[in-house]
Amino acid sequence: MVESITAIVTALGFPSVESFIGILLLAGAIIGAIVVIVTIRPLLDMFPYAYPNARVRARVGRLFSEKQISEIIESDDMEEVQNYLRGFPEYAKYVDQYSLEKALDTQLAETYDLVARIAPGDIQNVFRALLKKWDIRNIKSLITAKEVGLSSEETMELLIPFGDLKEDLGRLSEVNNITDIITGLEGTVYSQILEDALPAYESSKMVLPLEAALDKYYLENILKASSNPSDDNSSLIHTYVGSQVDITNLKIILRAKVDGLKYDDISPYMISNGYQIRDWKLKDLMEAEDVNAVISSMEGTDYSPVLSDALSKYVQTGSISVFEKDLDIYLTKMAKNFALKKPFGAGPMIGFLNRKENEIKNLKVIARGKREANFSASVIKEMLV
Amino acid sequence: MVDVALGTALAAIGAGVAVGFAGLGSGLGQGIAAAGSVGAVAEDNDMFARGIIFSALPETQAIYGFLIAILLLVFSGLLGGGNPLNVTSGLVAIGAGAAIGFAGLGSGMGQGITAASSVGAVVEDEDMFARGIIFSALPETQAIYGFLIAILLMVFGGILGA
Repeated sequence: MVESITAIVTALGFPSVESFIGILLLAGAIIGAIVVIVTIRPLLDMFPYAYPNARVRARVGRLFSEKQISEIIESDDMEEVQNYLRGFPEYAKYVDQYSLEKALDTQLAETYDLVARIAPGDIQNVFRALLKKWDIRNIKSLITAKEVGLSSEETMELLIPFGDLKEDLGRLSEVNNITDIITGLEGTVYSQILEDALPAYESSKMVLPLEAALDKYYLENILKASSNPSDDNSSLIHTYVGSQVDITNLKIILRAKVDGLKYDDISPYMISNGYQIRDWKLKDLMEAEDVNAVISSMEGTDYSPVLSDALSKYVQTGSISVFEKDLDIYLTKMAKNFALKKPFGAGPMIGFLNRKENEIKNLKVIARGKREANFSASVIKEMLV
Repeated sequence: MVDVALGTALAAIGAGVAVGFAGLGSGLGQGIAAAGSVGAVAEDNDMFARGIIFSALPETQAIYGFLIAILLLVFSGLLGGGNPLNVTSGLVAIGAGAAIGFAGLGSGMGQGITAASSVGAVVEDEDMFARGIIFSALPETQAIYGFLIAILLMVFGGILGA
């Protein structure tokens, strides 16, 4: 056998068996290296997501089930709702400190903060941009508080202790008016945004232009943070954020059309470069005559079937909120699909934040139903997302 | 300088491939499973034992590779002073090492991904534990095939039991 191997090796032009083995080993090493590189690369992309996604999935498991939500709805009053939430450590620490609504928002802010801290480096900037939601919310609360003349203590009760402005909230709550808020925010991006919107506020005597400018900055900033999709994960986030922008624009346009507003009234509140609704389409929508015309213009987009299905409910009820609810459900389904489609990517984080947001929204609806109107359980259930 | 026969030197390469690649797959797999487990334990202390179980699963590939490597070293004369191997048996030894090495690489990585995913599923819903273990055990089969073929190559290639 050794002779026949030697004969084959010689016939192949190798001077000796040793040199043939050397070449064979070299080829083996090259093939081995290629196999290792090709097989390891996908795994290395998954590595950074293993830890944050396990944490996020643990929290998904702690979200309230439908049964638990029903139990909360069955509570007799606000006190009972609060007692129920005290049974869950995530809520208990805030329920004992703040009013129920502030406790819920603070818990949501803590969740956003956690996800922004544990998200892998490639996508962390988007989650950090999402965290600005709490700065925006706090500034809006400050504006409203100062507009109606609330005291420093009353103002603090409205503020959520999270976000980049967390340390400045005490100082900002003590100012007297909106101009002072702008001065107090000097050195942050918000000062200039509010300064630019100040003439519109002064001429209209309404805080809406200031709030709209802040909302616009928030959405444009998250779009910018996700605008260079370099891989599957960032493109997933871009799709989600872009769809959020589309849905925000659609909600504003639909409400504006119900109120009979025209292009010039709506355009200052629009955010460009969403996911499916490009600028030319936005212009068409703003120029549409009524709600039906808006829905017709949406044909060819993923939002069309959602809006068309909600149209009959809108005709029956006359309430624009049916569109808003169905668009929110569409976004939730999208986030859920992402979580399933990309289990070792950004999907679970997006899915979790969306579900957490819905949980808090639902708890707030229940709280309001119990506190303000004492709605029946079935009416409250109808209002849930 | 120690005089090592060419066949024995080839068997040493086989042993290196066996433990090297199997260990690489096992390490990567265990790394991703353990990273997921740490995340789970950070949220829920009760996940520690289950996290350890899932993290330990991708260890087996490294054990298979290690066993084959030890057998090659012993029966090639490098350890224990046995007879040196001829060139043909040395090439068979490389084949045996590659069998468990590459099978262990793929199996370890696959098992690690499944185990990390299972940890996520269990921390979300603890009823998923048994099903998670079953799914995580599936990629073990490729390493078993590689291990069996490595043993058969050694037996019929004149390295073991010759």
